[in-house]
Amino acid sequence: MPWPIRASATTRERPVSAWGLAWSRFRRHRLALLGGAVILVLALSSALAPWISPYDPARSNLRLRFSAPSLRPPEDPRALPRCSRERSFVGWPCGVHPFGTDDLGRDLLTRVLYGGRVSLLVGFAAALGSTLFGGLLGAAVAYAGGAVDALMTRFTDAMLSIPQFPLLLILSGLLASRELPWAVRLSEALGPAKSILLIIVVITALSWMPAFRLVRGEILSLKEREFALASKAVGASAARIVLRHLLPNALHVLIVQSTLMVGEAILIESGLSFLGLGIQPPAVSWGNMLSRAQEFLYYPNGIYLALFPGLFIFLTVLCFNFLGDGLRDALDPRLGRRA
Amino acid sequence: MLSYFVRRLLVALPTLLGVTFIVFSIVRVLPGDPAQAMAGVHATQDYIERVRKELGLDLPIHVQYVRFLRGLLRGDLGRSIRTGLPVAQEVWTRFLPTLELTAASLFLTLVVGVLVGILSATKPYSLYDHASMFLSLAGLSLPVFWLGLMLMLLFSVRLGWLPAAGRGGLRHLVLPALTLAASSVALVARFTRSTLLEVLRQEYITTARAKGVRESRAILVHALRNALIPIVTIVGLRFGALLSGAVLTETVFAWPGVGRLVVDSVSARDYPVIQGTVLVIAACFVFINLAVDLLYGVINPRIRYD
Repeated sequence: MPWPIRASATTRERPVSAWGLAWSRFRRHRLALLGGAVILVLALSSALAPWISPYDPARSNLRLRFSAPSLRPPEDPRALPRCSRERSFVGWPCGVHPFGTDDLGRDLLTRVLYGGRVSLLVGFAAALGSTLFGGLLGAAVAYAGGAVDALMTRFTDAMLSIPQFPLLLILSGLLASRELPWAVRLSEALGPAKSILLIIVVITALSWMPAFRLVRGEILSLKEREFALASKAVGASAARIVLRHLLPNALHVLIVQSTLMVGEAILIESGLSFLGLGIQPPAVSWGNMLSRAQEFLYYPNGIYLALFPGLFIFLTVLCFNFLGDGLRDALDPRLGRRA
Repeated sequence: MLSYFVRRLLVALPTLLGVTFIVFSIVRVLPGDPAQAMAGVHATQDYIERVRKELGLDLPIHVQYVRFLRGLLRGDLGRSIRTGLPVAQEVWTRFLPTLELTAASLFLTLVVGVLVGILSATKPYSLYDHASMFLSLAGLSLPVFWLGLMLMLLFSVRLGWLPAAGRGGLRHLVLPALTLAASSVALVARFTRSTLLEVLRQEYITTARAKGVRESRAILVHALRNALIPIVTIVGLRFGALLSGAVLTETVFAWPGVGRLVVDSVSARDYPVIQGTVLVIAACFVFINLAVDLLYGVINPRIRYD
């Protein structure tokens, strides 16, 4: 039975919509709610980083390298950092470094917040891109059927049989070259945003396959159902049938897939940046913070450089996984709790 | 059985061909000139042209592809731009360390993952079940390289129990294998639990219990055998993920494997090595999946090879 036709199971007077039913199931999933809340807090504090943090993320302070996490300002008044922004309305007072400072004396919490902007942006954009692309392609191919379907499915299988990470490396490594005229022009136009855009494109290009397969499977079974046949009989165009009738019924698959994909994309971004092939400085991301941190593991207090960005990646991905799990249980009760 | 094997092999061939095509075209379509890279930054235009001719890069693209395939059949993957050695040789010397690492992780995945999953499924919704499922979701959310760094900090820097980097005896293998296996163990544990729970609801399990079969036997012999098929599939598919993870793990632990070779050759724009390494990795993956298919019959004789 498809998922939207389930409301009759309840005994309420007022009919409950499918979404309402899903929401009531979702609400019971405490970890998913918690995950969603944490994501919201993380996203908001990253977005508002300039107003929360009293520091400039790029400004170094060589008197204050590798200071330990502390909630008190340094005792030596000469080591006091200059706070470049007065408009901080929440956050923490100037001079305090809750997560400590890095190898150039920059405030770690500030950099983690700014890094969150990039990491979350990449996660959301790549997840949206890959599910939309894969989903639309899967729907189109499934509806068209025949040779197109067979060919695309084969191609997808071949894509899936190459381990992803080496391909990601190659794509982002080769695309990031600085020798090419058009790449240079792109860098001039976009500045540090270039590596961010590039990594979104690369992840999208290599992560659309799961969405493709999921949606293709759904559409294949949906397109033979009466409501689809009926709209075909009254003369609806193929585009209308797919977009208006079939895809909305496969939406729950896409929602779950894209939620889980956000976490996946954040992990990929951090891995690529860790290898130096992802987000390039001066842009900050959690991954490229970790890449730098590797050099300073053995320094006193150097461990915090690796600890905090990784902890934030972990926490964020965990929350997206909780959220995805909860959404799957809520939107597709047939599936049960799958791995 | 034999004819099935041959037929599966024949099905794997187009997939492999598709893989060669994808790898070949990625390296060709992307910006950057292999001839330029090989000749060096200060080479004259003349010299670059000569290198281009030598590499056959001046030929039409389909001719290049056929030449590439023909070389492949002879085991000739070209020569590395960086070292001048045959790519096949370079990949081969790096292959064993990676095999060692992934095999150890696969072993951990199968043993620990399945065990945790079985224990969870036998006591669903217990404290143990909740704890292990929470931990496994956490394991799936860990960045591989960060886990590696943290394990290294704890066990080699702080405690000094295990070596931090390099390849040597079993002691060197522990941390990288744990790091690489973590997410796979987590996934397999979750999957084993849900599959086993489904099987345990089947009527033949009730029958077995009604007959007075011991619970451990009902689970381990009656249920697990049928649950194993999807589990083995997942473990087989994890091999690809392990190979991907190996790139990061090998970087963290300075493990001299194929993954490290990919990273190095991408940074150096060593096109033949990039191409060769990815091909070998992909071929491994295709063959592992083939092996998994063949395993089905051993696990469950009901599956006929016809």
